[in-house]
Order: sequence, then C-alpha cells, then structure tokens
Amino acid sequence: MSIENFYILSAFLFCIGFAISATKKNAIVVLMGIELMLNAANINFVAASTFDKGIAGQYFALFVIVVAATEVAVALAIVIKLYKHFNTVDLDKINHLKG
Amino acid sequence: MHNVTNDIESWSIIALLSVVTLLLPLLAFIFMAVIKKSAEKLSAAISTAIMFIATALAVYICFQVWPNESFAGTLNWISFSNGSVVNVGVLINFEAAAMLIVVLSISSLVHLYSLKYMQDDEGFKRYFAFLAFFTFSMIGIVIADNLLAIFVFWELVGLSSYLLIGHWYKKESASFAASKAFIVNRVGDVGFVLGIAILWTHFQTLDLTALSMAMSESIIKEGVWEFGGQSIDASWLTVAGICLFLGAVGKSAQFPLQIWLPDAMEGPTPISALIHAATMVAAGVYLMIRVFTLLNIDALTVIATIGAITAFMGAIAALTQHDIKKVLAYSTISQLGYMLMGIGVGAYGAAFFHLFTHAFFKACLFLSAGSVIYALHEYSAKSKNKFDTQDMRNMGGLRKYLPVTFTAYLIASLALIGIPFFSGFLSKDALLSGAYAWASLMGGEGFSLYYLIPDLGFITVVLTAVYMCRQILLVFFGEFRLKGTTDVAVIESPLLLRITLVILAMLSLGLVWSFNPFDFNTSWFLSAVQVPEIVTPDFDQFWQLSLVEISSKNHLLISTASILLVAVGLAIGYYIYRPQGRYVLNYATRPMAKHFMQKISYYNWYLDPFYFYAVHRPVLWLSRGCRWVDRRLIDRGINLFGIFNVIFAHGIAWLDRYVVDGMVNLAVFVAGRFGNLTRSIQGGKVQNYLVLAILGLILIIYWSI
Repeated sequence: MSIENFYILSAFLFCIGFAISATKKNAIVVLMGIELMLNAANINFVAASTFDKGIAGQYFALFVIVVAATEVAVALAIVIKLYKHFNTVDLDKINHLKG
Repeated sequence: MHNVTNDIESWSIIALLSVVTLLLPLLAFIFMAVIKKSAEKLSAAISTAIMFIATALAVYICFQVWPNESFAGTLNWISFSNGSVVNVGVLINFEAAAMLIVVLSISSLVHLYSLKYMQDDEGFKRYFAFLAFFTFSMIGIVIADNLLAIFVFWELVGLSSYLLIGHWYKKESASFAASKAFIVNRVGDVGFVLGIAILWTHFQTLDLTALSMAMSESIIKEGVWEFGGQSIDASWLTVAGICLFLGAVGKSAQFPLQIWLPDAMEGPTPISALIHAATMVAAGVYLMIRVFTLLNIDALTVIATIGAITAFMGAIAALTQHDIKKVLAYSTISQLGYMLMGIGVGAYGAAFFHLFTHAFFKACLFLSAGSVIYALHEYSAKSKNKFDTQDMRNMGGLRKYLPVTFTAYLIASLALIGIPFFSGFLSKDALLSGAYAWASLMGGEGFSLYYLIPDLGFITVVLTAVYMCRQILLVFFGEFRLKGTTDVAVIESPLLLRITLVILAMLSLGLVWSFNPFDFNTSWFLSAVQVPEIVTPDFDQFWQLSLVEISSKNHLLISTASILLVAVGLAIGYYIYRPQGRYVLNYATRPMAKHFMQKISYYNWYLDPFYFYAVHRPVLWLSRGCRWVDRRLIDRGINLFGIFNVIFAHGIAWLDRYVVDGMVNLAVFVAGRFGNLTRSIQGGKVQNYLVLAILGLILIIYWSI
C-alpha cells in the first residue's frame, strides 16, 4: 500500500468538504463540510505517521479531533445564536458582512 | 556741554526733572481720560493739584538755571542707514525755564478757574482731559532741543487747540471756528516743515545747539552757502529763516494768517485765556527765540515788517468790536505782532520779556472777561432774560456790581496800554526802543523806510490806549444797559474765580518785574536773558552790540514819547467813549458799521472775504472741475472697464463650468466606477469569502513551490 493512495483519499475528502462548505445554504451543513476537511487532514497525518518512525503524526491527529470537537461545540452555539437573531440558518440571507 | 549720548543715566538731574514736568500733565490727561464720569469733579481737582506740583517743579528748575546755567540731555531717536541721526532731548536754558513757569502757572490757574467756570458743563471731563493734554504738548515745545521734536509737539498743540475751540461742538459756529483754526495753522506749518527740510538737507542735524554750531562754521562765498563740502545758493539761508517764521505766522496769528484767532474765541473763555492769549499763540514767538541764532538780516527784516504790520492791523480791528472777547483777541494779535517785531529788530530780550508780561496780563484780562460773562450768565438765568452775555452792548456800569473783576481788569488793561508802574510799560518800552535803535542803525540818519516799523509800533501804542479805554468805559462805567428790565442784581463771581484774577493782576504790576518801574534796564528779568549771538554767515558781528548801545541811549526819549502817546490815546478814548457821551448814549441802539473806515476795522480788514474770494472760491471751482472730470471722463472709463470685465467674466464662467468642472466630474465618475467594481467582491456572503480564502491559499502554495 503506497502513501499516494492515502493522499488521494484525503485530497478527495477535502475537496468534498470544501465543495459542501462553499455551496450549501444551511449553516449546519457547512459545518459538516468543515468537519470533512479537518478529517481529510487527519488522514494525512496518520498516513504520514505510518511511514515514519515517530508517532508525532498520530498525536497530532488526536489533537485535531479534540480541537474539532470544541470547534463544533462553539460553532453550533454560534449557529443557535444566529438562528435566534435572524430566524434562519440560510447563509444567503445572513449577509451582514456586506460592505 | 552738548555731547550726544544714548544713555539716560548720564542726564543731569535738572534735565530729568524737566521730563517729569512734561510727563505730569500727560499723567493728568490719562487720569482724566480713564476716570468714571461720576468722579469727574474730584478727579479734576486732583488734576489741578498735579498742575500745581508741576508748577513748583518748574520754579525749582528756574532757580537751578538762574542766572545763566544750561542743562541738556539727548537720546538717539531715529538712525538713518546713511549714518545721520535724529536725536531727541531736552535743552533747558533760562528762556525754557521761564517759559515753563509761564505755561504751568497759567495752566494751573486756568485749571483752578475752570473748576468753577465749567462746573455745569456736560463736557466737563473731556474739557479737563484736553486741558491737561494741551499743557503736556506745550511743555514739549518748550523743553525740546530738536526741531523735529518741537514740530511734533507743535502739531499736538494745534490738535488740542482744535479740540478745545470745538468744545461746544454742537454749536455750528464753534465747530467751524475749530476747523478754521486747524486749517489756517496747517498753512503755516507747511512753511515750518520746509524750513526744517532745508536745514536738514544742508546740515544733517536738527539739534538746536548743533545747528547753531554748524551755522557758525558755514560760510558764504560769492553768493554760495557752503558747509562741509556741500554748497547751495545763499538765498536758501534767507528762505530757511522765512520758512521757520511761517510756522510762527500760523501759530502766532500774524498777517496774513491772523484770521483764525478771533474765531477761536468760540471756545470756553478759560481756553481763550490759556491757549489763545498766553501760551500757545506765544509758541511762535518762542520758536523764533529758539532759532534766533539761525536767522540772517533779511529774514529778520521780513519778521520785523510782518510783526509791525500785524501789530497795527490787530489794533485797528480791535477798535470797533462789540464782543468783549473779540476785542481782546485782536489785541492779542496786535501784541504778538509787537513781540515778533521785537525778534525781527534784534530786541531779543525785550520780545521775550513782552511775551512773559503779556502772558500774565492777557490771561488776567481774559479770565476777567470770563468772570463778567459768568456773572451776566447767572443774571440772565435768574432774570429769565436771554441775551448775548459777551456783547458789550448788554453791559455797562458793571464796576459797581463786580468790584474785584473790575480792579483786576483795570490793572491788566493799564499793563496792556503801557502805563508806568505796570508790567506792560517795561516790556513795551524795551521793544520800542529796540525797534527805534534798529531803524536808526539800518536806515542811518535822515528819512528812511526802516523808520516805518517803529512808527507803526508807536501808532499802535495810541490805538491800544484807545481801544482798551473804550472797552473799560463801555463795560464797567456808565449805567448798566439792561437795568430796568427786572429787579434782579448782577452779583460778583464766586471766590475761586476772584482768587485767580487777583493772583494774575498782581503779576501784572511793574514792581514785580523791575525795581525801578520807569526803567526797563533795571529789570531783573531782562538782565537774566542772555541774548545769544546770531551766527549766520556774513552777519555783521557789531550789529547786535550797536543795537544795544543805541537802544540804551535813546531809551529816555522813547519812554517819554510812549508815555505821551499813551496819554493822547487815553484822552481820545475818553473823549469819544466818555459816560454820558454821544457814543455811549446811543451805543445799545447803534447801527452796524457804516463808514468805510469803520467797516475795515469791524470786518478785520476784509481778510475773511478776501480769503473767501481768493482761496475758498477758486478751490471750490477747482473741485467742481475735478468733479466734472471725475464724472465725465474717469467714471465713464471705469464703467467701460466694468462692462468689459463682466463680459470677460461670463467667458471665464463658461470655461469654468464646462471644462474645469467637466474634468473634475470625469475624475469623480472614474473613481465611482472603480469603487463599484471592488464593492462586488465584498458581497457579505461568508461562503464567497471562504472560496476566495482557499483560492488565495492555493495561489500562495503554488507560487511558493
């Protein structure tokens, strides 16, 4: 099993995540896309770690999972706040950043 | 003695004291100017006290100067880039110190007098402020050692005279009189400035002492006046002297500029006493005394001639006036003519002595006239009978009601007429013998035109006796011409007025000025005056000595002649104007001047109409012509130019609107488009930002690999 396969998988996963975050209207789905991108990175870390003597990559993967969990907690709280404020989670309608 | 310095610490204490006497009246002026109107009575009293302090200082200075000391101090004033310097400073000699006493003593007496005389006047505060200001400027003339500084104060004196003549400015005649005095004085001042300019051009200095030194060093060779490598035509020497004299002609009301002085009587009477009788009009004589050493024989002859003519003309004009103050005004003109005649004939000491005695007795006369006017004014208010309180036709017999005023008036008049035992006799006698000596020196034996000058002087003696006799008889003798209209009596003026009159009357007595009242040669005053030597080039050094010699020789003859002439004058005066005489009985109802001689006198030689036709009218015509040119030519040109400008401006406006504004609009448009273009990126959609961020990241990664 060569490392290229892992890289292709993670790139594929990343692209799916990015596509979801860039195109979906629902904020929660966008969050899911971000999760996919994070996990694509995790696959890279773990794959690289298997072809290496140390286990720093695996530590890092665990670290990312913890960060992702907290990130989701905060992001979901933000989404709830957004919903309370705008009565919607449709990102097309939440355009207050417009200059 | 006279070293130019820039350090006030090196001044002598007397020079500094004289500056203090200059500044005290200025202090009084500022004080009166800033004080509240409610405190004006008290502050006027304080201002009067300041004047008396200054008088005491002046007396102290005079004692220090006595008999022949001189104090000077100078400071640099203006430095020119070519190295010449104008200094300003003080020069206190006996003449200056004596003049200081005259100015300050009469000023303080007039202050005292005005406290009462002006008490109900609404311009009380203004009056006292200007009075102090006048005193300040007059002292400036007296002590300044430099012609330019003298000129500055000379103008300030003219200004304060203008302000005080126009004190009752709501009265039209008063404001006209003020303007007339100011304008006529300026005519003389033009001459003064020219004189200063000539001396400055030739000598590069205006200090009096430096000038007389430079003058003695200059020489006249073959009709050319040379000094320090500079040479101009010798006639400039005479011109300079006459130009300086012109200043005196204006200020001292000499022919042909004497027309302003009678009108100046529109001012309050104490002002007439101080400014237009005792001090300011004498400033011209004082100026001639200061520059005496710079005058040559031709200039002196002109001065003597003008002086004698003025003395005669003034005396003639005084003969027929009805206004009590106008008689005194013409008399002042006449006496000033005497003084300048004295300067012209080289009788320097006599001229200054006459200035001195005249200041006191004429101030006394004016203040007594003021007292008469005050009493009649009160009478007019009480009896509810409005009449002209200055017109002698409304007076008569006042000696019974105003004994103190009458006595003072009588003493001062006798001094003016020149009766022995009174001050005027001494000074007038000295003047006349000086004039006679001059004529016999200049003309030699036998008939000569030079004798006309002393002859005019002698005729004036007779005329003076006649007009003063007339005035005293008309005002104080006979019956009061308004009696019978009411039972209110005229009462004597208040104590304050009487005190000043008594003081001035005492100073008009001859014994104060000389131990032997018949002989001016024994006068302590005259012996104190040191006649300076005239230093103009080509001047005969023995001229002045021979004058003194002849004058002391012919003195007995002259005084006898003048006493006789006075007696003749008094006799004529008494005969014509005696109480119960034909003239006096018809006086109140007398018609206006009928005969040509009367008219000449009453209208002051028709000088006013003459100036009206010779100056006033042509100036009016000229200004009308100028107005026509202005209207028809210049205005039209300007209008054309204006129209052209409007057309041009329209063109410019089009250019502005379409070209300049268009460019600005274009720039705005371009900037707006750019803004819109970049604005679309900031869409406010989070997902767009995310895409752009990732794209950016990819680009960075791409380039960094």
